[in-house]
Amino acid sequence: MFVVAMLLAGAVWSRLAYWQVAQHGRLTSQAQAQYREYVELPAVRGAIFDRNLTQLVVNTTVYSAFVSPDQVPSNERDRVAQGLATVLGVDKTKTFATLETNAKFAYIARRFPKTKADQLSALKLPGVGLEQETQRSYLPGIAPGTTLASNLLGFVDWTGNGNYGLEQKYQAALAGTPGYISSFRDLANREIVLGTHTHQDPLPGSDLVLSLDANIQYAAEQALAAGVKTDNAESGSVLVMDPQTGGIVAWADYPSYNANDFNHTDPAMFKDNVLGYVYEPGSVMKVVTLGGAISAGAIAPNTVINDPGVLSVGGYRIYDWDRRNHGNIDYTYVLEHSLNVGAMKAMQAEGHDAFYKNLQAFGLTQPSGVDVAGESFIPLPSATQMADAQYATASFGQGIDVNMVQMLSAINVVANGGKYAQPHVVERVGTRVNPVLLQPQRQVISADAAAKMTTMMQAVVQNGSGWTSRIPGFQLDQCGKTGTSQIPVNGQYTQDVWASFVGFLPAQHPKFTMIVVVRKPHYPGAEQDWTMNDGYLTAEPIWQKIAQTIVVDWHLTPDGH
Amino acid sequence: MTSTRILARRRLGTTSAPHVTAPPRRRRRTRGFVQVASTAAAERLRLNRFGHAYVGVGAVVIALFFYLALAAQITQSSYDISRLQDQQRQLIAEQDQLRYQEVTLHAPAQVQQQASQSGMQRVVPASYVPGQLVAIDLAAPVGASPTDSTPRWLRAVAVVVNRIGGTRDVMAAGNK
Repeated sequence: MFVVAMLLAGAVWSRLAYWQVAQHGRLTSQAQAQYREYVELPAVRGAIFDRNLTQLVVNTTVYSAFVSPDQVPSNERDRVAQGLATVLGVDKTKTFATLETNAKFAYIARRFPKTKADQLSALKLPGVGLEQETQRSYLPGIAPGTTLASNLLGFVDWTGNGNYGLEQKYQAALAGTPGYISSFRDLANREIVLGTHTHQDPLPGSDLVLSLDANIQYAAEQALAAGVKTDNAESGSVLVMDPQTGGIVAWADYPSYNANDFNHTDPAMFKDNVLGYVYEPGSVMKVVTLGGAISAGAIAPNTVINDPGVLSVGGYRIYDWDRRNHGNIDYTYVLEHSLNVGAMKAMQAEGHDAFYKNLQAFGLTQPSGVDVAGESFIPLPSATQMADAQYATASFGQGIDVNMVQMLSAINVVANGGKYAQPHVVERVGTRVNPVLLQPQRQVISADAAAKMTTMMQAVVQNGSGWTSRIPGFQLDQCGKTGTSQIPVNGQYTQDVWASFVGFLPAQHPKFTMIVVVRKPHYPGAEQDWTMNDGYLTAEPIWQKIAQTIVVDWHLTPDGH
Repeated sequence: MTSTRILARRRLGTTSAPHVTAPPRRRRRTRGFVQVASTAAAERLRLNRFGHAYVGVGAVVIALFFYLALAAQITQSSYDISRLQDQQRQLIAEQDQLRYQEVTLHAPAQVQQQASQSGMQRVVPASYVPGQLVAIDLAAPVGASPTDSTPRWLRAVAVVVNRIGGTRDVMAAGNK
């Protein structure tokens, strides 16, 4: 009897312990959910400004219309459906069908402007309500249906999360911290005014100030769109940088998209090709190869070499682009005429290890770390894993994959007196200066080597493939280098190319460094001669147009000669 | 002197309390007019049971009226607050819209459109004249006047003329 009593008591106690101890948390939260009301107060998202404090993004209020079909009398359904169709442009038949469902709630249209909301309110339709929502609105771009710098900025989805670009990268800073109102409710779901009432104000998000210049950005997008169309290319991108700070001045992609209408955009368009697309840079890499070799003392601009037009490396015969015997030439001539044999000989003079360290120092073996979401990067094999032929092709920019930010930052070393400036877009978050701007810049090549490379790149514009980039007045005072590399598909190089041009000016006191990449151009006449797709005919004119605008907008003048 | 209470008892025919030997009376303080008046009113308004009920109900009704008035006032205030909050939301929405319009008006796309509509074109300079380098001696003493090559007689004449006619600066100052 005693045992039975103990068993029964134990069962009761264990059940009590289960509810009071094991299930304590769950029951407490369930109870709180019944009597506690928690209303979130959304924080205002931070704005984004360019370097001149031109606002690039504005928070606007939009409206969504909903119906409660069970509150619409049957004799009013037609009037309600007609009103909604007239004001919002929705399908009347579908709306009428929704009203016949007797559901509690259904959205009719999302995120329309205040003017339509006012029209709808004036109709006083039964069972129709309006809901206010906040939306990010971006500046108009170069054509209707595009927005300025959309690939750089990204967009904010309807749940308030930043997607792509800066909106994603700086989500935490921009979003702020939402506040809340916490109070208690009675059985009739009314707030108990004298009960515990907690109110926490939201903390607004921080504003971002970018190094971007909206005017240059617009000019870059315009010139790029026109150039890509002229070149019959698949796509193109432009990146402009401040040589001294590494701040990005313009970041353009074509084709682009309308960030104000992201929900009707093909998601493939969201990809940013500046940072998310890796390519083989081609002859632009010769600046890195020769710059490193000069800094190491392996070569000098006037060192004479013999270039028969072909070089055998690791069992492969590697040719100059024109397959001509150039005889005895110096390295300035090599850069002017973009000769692969010269670049390979410079790399060989420097040595594999030094060349590899050179690539590391120029930032080509690791991600650029620029403060924009979505960087793509293909790591280079380790120095010991790279074959002789791979070293040879890497010296003129084939067989090595980089993104545009990496490549421009590397070339910018020459413009910045041999120092690497960390690329970045955001200068200030709220009142806090980007720490990148306060860090010392590392010396990659000697200032003397950078000066020599500058002179050699000037020669490219004056005597070599850079002639189509010349800007009136700056002919003697601008630096550049073309790059054209074949696109590999399934391990085989095709006739499609990446065409690029990189340059800076004024040569001795650079105010900007810019790279233009055009993907798969089909320049008129290229069917007969694929070299018509070369960077000097496709990318360079785009560079020239944008540089011309920067010269005028920034009131640049050439250095005295 | 017969007090008001004794007179009232005599009028109503009530018997007085059994006579007891009162302790020697102290001299009472003279009562004020308000005390006297209120005591008189209370004694004249002595109510029966129904009177008490009426007063009670009246008090409840008055309290109810107060409550209703207060509730109506609170309800009205809450309506006003809701209306003002709604109005504030509308104004914020309008402000956002105006802000976007303002920002859009300054956008490069809009500026270019307006410029092209006005027939304006971007002028591209064809050439530049490089500026001459000018050497500035930062170590030179500040304020050192350049050598004055004016003949001494001309300076003397200038002093006389300025005394008589006043300098241009003086004249300008005088015309203010």
